[in-house]
Amino acid sequence: MKKLALAVVVTMASSFCAMAANDVTKSPPPAPYQQVSKLVKLPDFLPGMGQLFVDPASLPAGPFLAYDHDGQVVSTIYMLPIKDLNPDKRFDNLAAPGGKVDHVDVYYNAGHPGVEVPHAHVVLWHVSVDDEARVAK
Amino acid sequence: MTLTRRQILGTGGGLVAALSLSPSAVWSGEIVEIKMQGRDDGSQVWFDPIGILIKPGQTVRWINLNSSNAHTTTAYNPENFGQPLRMPKAAKSWNSDYLLPNESFSVRLMEQGVYDYFCIPHEHAGMVGRIIVGEPEKHGWTEQAAVSGDLPKEALKAFPSVEDIMMNGIAWRT
Repeated sequence: MKKLALAVVVTMASSFCAMAANDVTKSPPPAPYQQVSKLVKLPDFLPGMGQLFVDPASLPAGPFLAYDHDGQVVSTIYMLPIKDLNPDKRFDNLAAPGGKVDHVDVYYNAGHPGVEVPHAHVVLWHVSVDDEARVAK
Repeated sequence: MTLTRRQILGTGGGLVAALSLSPSAVWSGEIVEIKMQGRDDGSQVWFDPIGILIKPGQTVRWINLNSSNAHTTTAYNPENFGQPLRMPKAAKSWNSDYLLPNESFSVRLMEQGVYDYFCIPHEHAGMVGRIIVGEPEKHGWTEQAAVSGDLPKEALKAFPSVEDIMMNGIAWRT
């Protein structure tokens, strides 16, 4: 019985450690995510979005993880080139590690270093509309 | 043409004829400033003014006033990623590389003619500009500028006409 209890505890502890290692709710997220401003020349904190991290292998779509000034995740952003929104291209099984989604924004972006073509931002907000103010400036 | 290194806003800013510029101020030989601007959400980006007429030897300074994006000023020249030549052959090409908010870059333009330039990450969104150097009445530059080359249609559509720049001395983004 003691052995069984020990096994359960060890298993739970391992799971907890694994969850902590994959936790993206606090900045910085674990590898392979990297700070966008260290990958390309962009301001570190983007008004309206926050501080961005991305796995370079997932470019251009992402997900990009956005954090507020306190290092709390606020949104998961996908960047989909307009030219790729056509009958011959799909974006399937994009990762969504940011947790519960409160609401979604979709809007056009003219481009920026890293995604140098017009594209759509699909933003999964993990905070309320009012709390978007945390990354407004 | 002389390239200067990237400058941070505030250094030498007093020399700039900030473009509340009248055409006469531009023509007086002062440094002219072209702003790199955009909406915070990145949905629109632009140079302002988008077209300007200056004198040979005059300096143009671009400054990034877009707090949420990086921009470049890059001449249409084969030296820049094989782009078509849309500037005088004798003039030296330029490429600012990415400018972060409040960074600036200057060039001094000596050769008379039409100079077209673009922003690397935003060419496909039509972020381009045109500078005419020289005396307006002496050259038939319209033909030169009409050679389109292989440019995105959004870029071609965005250029102000040579005639408008010559007539008004400046073309603001509308």
